[in-house]
Amino acid sequence: MHDQIRQFILVNFLFGDGSRLFDSTPFLESGIVDSTGLLEIIEFLETTFNITIEDQELRSVNLNSIDNIVRFVREKQKQ
Amino acid sequence: MDAKHILTASWGTPLQGLLEGSARQYPDKIAVICGEVRASYTLLNTLANRFCGALRDHGLQKGDIVAILHENSLNFIAAYFGALKAGAVVAPLNTDLKPNGLQPILLELLPKAIIASARQTEKLESCSEEVFARTAVLLSDGDSSARNNRFDLVSIRHIASYPSTDFDPVRTISENDIACIIYTSGSTGKAKGVMLTHGNIVANTRSICDCLRLTERDIQMVVLPFSYVFGLSLLHTHIAVGGTLVINNLFCFTGGMLEQMKTEMVTGFSGVPSTYAFLLHRSPLVAFRDSLPCLRYCSQAGGHMTRKVKLELRRALPDHTNIIIMYGATEASARLTWLDPRYYFEKTGSIGREIPGVTIKTLDETGGEVRPGEIGELVASGPNIMLGYYLDPVSTSRVLDVHGYHTGDLGYRDGEGFLYVTGRRDNQMKVGGYRVDPQEIEDVIMDSGLVVEAAVVGMPDDLQSTVIEALIVPVIVTDGQEELFVHCARCLPRYKVPQHFFVIAELPKNGNGKIDRRQCAEMISHLQARQRTAVESRSIHA
Repeated sequence: MHDQIRQFILVNFLFGDGSRLFDSTPFLESGIVDSTGLLEIIEFLETTFNITIEDQELRSVNLNSIDNIVRFVREKQKQ
Repeated sequence: MDAKHILTASWGTPLQGLLEGSARQYPDKIAVICGEVRASYTLLNTLANRFCGALRDHGLQKGDIVAILHENSLNFIAAYFGALKAGAVVAPLNTDLKPNGLQPILLELLPKAIIASARQTEKLESCSEEVFARTAVLLSDGDSSARNNRFDLVSIRHIASYPSTDFDPVRTISENDIACIIYTSGSTGKAKGVMLTHGNIVANTRSICDCLRLTERDIQMVVLPFSYVFGLSLLHTHIAVGGTLVINNLFCFTGGMLEQMKTEMVTGFSGVPSTYAFLLHRSPLVAFRDSLPCLRYCSQAGGHMTRKVKLELRRALPDHTNIIIMYGATEASARLTWLDPRYYFEKTGSIGREIPGVTIKTLDETGGEVRPGEIGELVASGPNIMLGYYLDPVSTSRVLDVHGYHTGDLGYRDGEGFLYVTGRRDNQMKVGGYRVDPQEIEDVIMDSGLVVEAAVVGMPDDLQSTVIEALIVPVIVTDGQEELFVHCARCLPRYKVPQHFFVIAELPKNGNGKIDRRQCAEMISHLQARQRTAVESRSIHA
């Protein structure tokens, strides 16, 4: 799961250049992703991992870094 | 006269006096909340004094330009007021600019000092040497090593080592001195630096505070960048009344933002149309309806918000929350009109009436005033109208004349004095001999309820000269757009129905959240080409 998420961010937002992308890098503050990008990430997570992300879950702690996403998706899959 | 009016009556220039006055009157009150930081007025003013000290220490004189390239934060606010205290002209720049957009602006400004966040400092390293020709110091959050030896690099972390000098250039600054140069978004053509004086901004700040009845009890959620004049006016007005600014730079995480609004008991929220479109379609706003008892108002400016969004917003927000529609321009220091929320339903399409001190006339092409109900250009005058565009007398003379500031917006005034904007002079297209404004078509598309966002653009066409095309973000993605075609055909004359509805994930916007029409046109051109290729390929295979 981690590698799939990282790959999606790399290919779609960084054109394959991973030098700036660490698992804890905050997407918005580092300028990697904007609001459009966030919507793309949500769509990717919903279709790839077969989860539904509720509006209430649109929080930095869930979606603003690879670490946060991995933790969040694992939690969702347990539900 | 209540306390607020005594206070506003005593305001005067210079602009930094707004902070100094509140620091005297409300020393321990929280001025800024940003992440874990909660700064009192005393702390903010002290920090601003230290920025002033650091700048003066590097030889900054009255009238020198200080560029701020920093995301919204306590440091931004302290740097902004610190630079004003030092007598500088402050240019807050859009942090979304790429180096190729930043370079010409810095080249025009040739700032004496630059104050930048870590991320923005990296960006500066891509700019050419020439932009630093007059730079004496770069105050940065970052650890970047100086890219040359011509200017000093000072870490903002060391700003505390500068004395909180009570340097007072106030007596040397007049209301006609330039306080800020704010760059317009430049979505159509070259970005222009709008020169606003201390007098411009203080006058407009006072008028906005009066209309919104702002007091020291107000707590504003800030999601708009301070480099954008609407965002900057939130800073001026709330600092002026001794209110609190809650800075949240992660608006698109709407769940977290609304939770913060609830926790911090926010009283005011402000956004552009796309802010509200996002809130309505990808946020738990409705779930928070009963959790925002303090939210006194939401204000909207920065472009036309469709009737449908206005009505949806009214349903989604708590009943006690007023929605205040405002209209303005960077060239007007921020705001020109406001719609008193009592008229929200009766005058839904209106931008309201002038704020105190402003006059708007609707003029025809010869400069004559048109009658109520007739369309003319909105031309504004008042103490908030800019001095002109920086180093650009030609552009200045195109928009400023004896009548005032020509907004480029077309509109009319109804019999009761309420103003309506019908479109932009420069967005109008000529289609089949008819003058068409994209706004009317976008409103019809949005009214269908099938679409989250829409932008209509006139595209060049070999046969018809111009064809109407639309970019849409549908509520539900479907194969075709038959339903939308049927809806438009029912509501619009045939020549106004878009030729295609191209589906995309989100409309391209500039850093301020406004729709970037130039980028929309580029996107459509690309999609048209792709469609032509697909058709050609299908016909070859057939």
